[in-house]
Amino acid sequence: MTADPVLSVEGLSVRYGAVTAVRDLSFSITPGEIVGVIGPNGAGKSSTLHAIMGLAPISAGTVRLRGRSLAGSVAEDVARSGIALVPEGRRIFAELTVEENLRLGLAGRREQAGAEADIEAAYDLFPIVREFRGRHAGALSGGQQQQLAIARALVAKPDLLLLDEPSLGLAPKIVDVVFEVLGEIRRRGVTVVLVEQRAQRTVAFADRSLLIANGELRLTMTPSDAHDTERMVAAYLS
Amino acid sequence: MSLAIPLASIDAQTLVDALGLGAVYALMAVGIGLVFGVLRLVNFAYGQLVMAGAYTLAYTSDWPIVASIVACFAVVIMLSSLMERLVFRPLRTQSPAVMLVTTFALAFLLQNIALLIDLRDNTIGEAAASIAPLNRAIVIGGVDVRKITIVTLIVAFCALTALALLLGRTTIGLHMRAAATDFRTARMLGVRADRVISTAVLLSALLAATVAVILTVQFPLVTPDFALRDTIVVLVGVVVGGIDRLWTATLGGFAIGFASGIINGALPTENTVYLPSVLFALVILVLLIRPAGLFARGGSSLVERV
Amino acid sequence: MSRHARALVQLAAPVLLVILTGLACGLAGRATEIEILSALVSVSTVVAVYVFVGNSGVLSFGQISFVALGAFTSGVMTIPLDSKAGVLPQLFPILRDHTIGNVPSLALAALVGGAAALLVGIPLMRLSGLAAGIATFAVLEITHNLLREWTAIGPGATTLALVPETTDALQATLGAIGVIVAAFAYQGSRLGRKLRATREDPAAAAGVGINVHRERLWGFVLSGALSGFAGGLLVHLLGSITTEDVYLELTFLTLAMLVVGGSTSLLGAVVGALLVSGIDTLLSHAEDGIGIGFTVNLPSGTRLVALGVLMAAMLVLRPTGVTGGRELSLPTWRKGEA
Repeated sequence: MTADPVLSVEGLSVRYGAVTAVRDLSFSITPGEIVGVIGPNGAGKSSTLHAIMGLAPISAGTVRLRGRSLAGSVAEDVARSGIALVPEGRRIFAELTVEENLRLGLAGRREQAGAEADIEAAYDLFPIVREFRGRHAGALSGGQQQQLAIARALVAKPDLLLLDEPSLGLAPKIVDVVFEVLGEIRRRGVTVVLVEQRAQRTVAFADRSLLIANGELRLTMTPSDAHDTERMVAAYLS
Repeated sequence: MSLAIPLASIDAQTLVDALGLGAVYALMAVGIGLVFGVLRLVNFAYGQLVMAGAYTLAYTSDWPIVASIVACFAVVIMLSSLMERLVFRPLRTQSPAVMLVTTFALAFLLQNIALLIDLRDNTIGEAAASIAPLNRAIVIGGVDVRKITIVTLIVAFCALTALALLLGRTTIGLHMRAAATDFRTARMLGVRADRVISTAVLLSALLAATVAVILTVQFPLVTPDFALRDTIVVLVGVVVGGIDRLWTATLGGFAIGFASGIINGALPTENTVYLPSVLFALVILVLLIRPAGLFARGGSSLVERV
Repeated sequence: MSRHARALVQLAAPVLLVILTGLACGLAGRATEIEILSALVSVSTVVAVYVFVGNSGVLSFGQISFVALGAFTSGVMTIPLDSKAGVLPQLFPILRDHTIGNVPSLALAALVGGAAALLVGIPLMRLSGLAAGIATFAVLEITHNLLREWTAIGPGATTLALVPETTDALQATLGAIGVIVAAFAYQGSRLGRKLRATREDPAAAAGVGINVHRERLWGFVLSGALSGFAGGLLVHLLGSITTEDVYLELTFLTLAMLVVGGSTSLLGAVVGALLVSGIDTLLSHAEDGIGIGFTVNLPSGTRLVALGVLMAAMLVLRPTGVTGGRELSLPTWRKGEA
């Protein structure tokens, strides 16, 4: 029995001027799933997330959140509909304190009730964030900022969490921490779309992974395909 | 002529007056800085908001003082809201140069509308007489301090404190600070752009109205170029201080007001004819050395990048 | 169409407009003639400002300073010798004891404008955006202050009068054409094209080896010289001048004309100048009461309001101006195609 999809993308195309970043992309996400999105640089992975979030123009196709179309919505409305994005590069406000950064995430909540409890829960999940709560966010290391960015997205209590290359620029040990956090999030039943460069790790971790190259969906993989590097490379280069 | 002579003529009177001027300019600087922070727009027409407030006070001179002040605030808020809707909002996608020239045109436009209205009685200038009594002085410790200066300092202090609290402790304040740093990401998190912009514009209008009240006490004759000179000086001060951040902008406004007050009071009139040239030459010098502003952090900034 | 033919068309359009305007002088009565001449001098001024602002994309509020310097220099040097010592007793002897002819004074005005622009431009051309706007505004203020107070170089706060009114239809037309040709030659030259490259993306331009500072300086100096020249034409049209005539209102008007016409094209500058002058004249007459089927009598001061509205509306609705910021191009048709 399949539950109604949280997110369904049909025939999505994203064009920046003359350049087509995403071409006729279709997929859907069921509640509680973690879906990985992998592919070479410039494949259109980020553009897909941005289009869902209302940050990039959709030139064709539909994006539906729980059946409701997001067409023409601006980012702030998409955020308030229950999608949270942890953007590439984290985009932390360096001059605000860690706590203020976290509280900014509350802007995306659909109901303010329970906000304080969720803030505390975020601190529990990310003890390092609690430790630095009064300090300027710019003082945090890359890995710590990544945790803050994820925490910030979680306090918005989204139905769907989008992560754009959370391990980018982080040392291997820190990447482990990030994936641990993602595992914890999975345990809590949050639906996640994870865009990543680290193909093998993502395929092994996610419930299923979409391989996108040149703006098109080439392959859908499951954790058992994680070692099938030949297939992956072939799809990357096709 | 040595430097010692000007310094020697800075008396307590000049100091107090300079503080007062600095305070008024600081308020205007905040008004300009708030709108710049969220809209990335330099409102050349800010002075016209003050002018409109002053004219309202003049035309309601025969009303009770409180009603007159309320009218002043109402007019300024309405005018600034109109500006935002008709001019700022459509301009948001344009280049900074276009925004600059448009607000310049707006300033010119409003000034001439005021001229038209003023000239209906065939004289330029209207008198805002009701609150003039505040312009009288009391003596504190041997120094003549005008009541209005005391009021200005108190009001400025309260306004700036209230603003700091608003920005630092409230949700909307947090949203505004985030929007001023990175509007795109803030919106991505769910911060409502309209609300942030309207709040900034409203606060900016409140400050303009306050300045209008304070200035009309000292200068009861209101003409279309009321506060024009002051706005230009404040704008210069804000850019020199560093328009990117609110506190550097405010500091810049205060500094240029204070400096103007001191220099004007300390130098005898014959020597002050070339004062504008000296001041503006200094401005150019500062901009060459630190285009982002005196107090701004070093490095590239929005100001250079056009 | 060949490249040369296209260039000719682009140049011909503004020149033709100017010639037509000049010819209209002959048909008009004295009062209107002055307004037409004024429009032609505006063309010179706006094109001079365009040479820098349009090509570099750097907003300068200071070009009118060079108009002012040109106007005052040219004016002071052409006042008849016998009256000069009387009206301007405090002038430096070299200025007071010499008078030059009209055309040399225009050349002098251009020289002074260019030299001042060089002096000011060397430090200032490093700035962009808001900093450039404020810095050039500071230049305007300094020039205004100096001209107003320094009585050894000019009349100071009083009116400079007794300047021979030598700007007639021929001179105004030829002057405007000269400025247009100079602007056209510049923007088509390598120098001009390099400057235009810095307009869209200064970083990219610097990346391909263009010295942004130097290219801007060239444009600024040419603009200054042409502005000075326009100032010379202006003072000889009015016969008298004060510092307020070449200060904020003229700055606003010039920018308005440029923006309304289209700030990135030469045709835009010319069209803007003529169009806004035309509207300004119409409104001026309306203020005095004109009959256009019915009598329109606008309160005085309306014209500036209307101009302000026009400029603001143009910027909001069509920021590229009437011409869209482009030169004239005739529809091309290629041989052999249907």
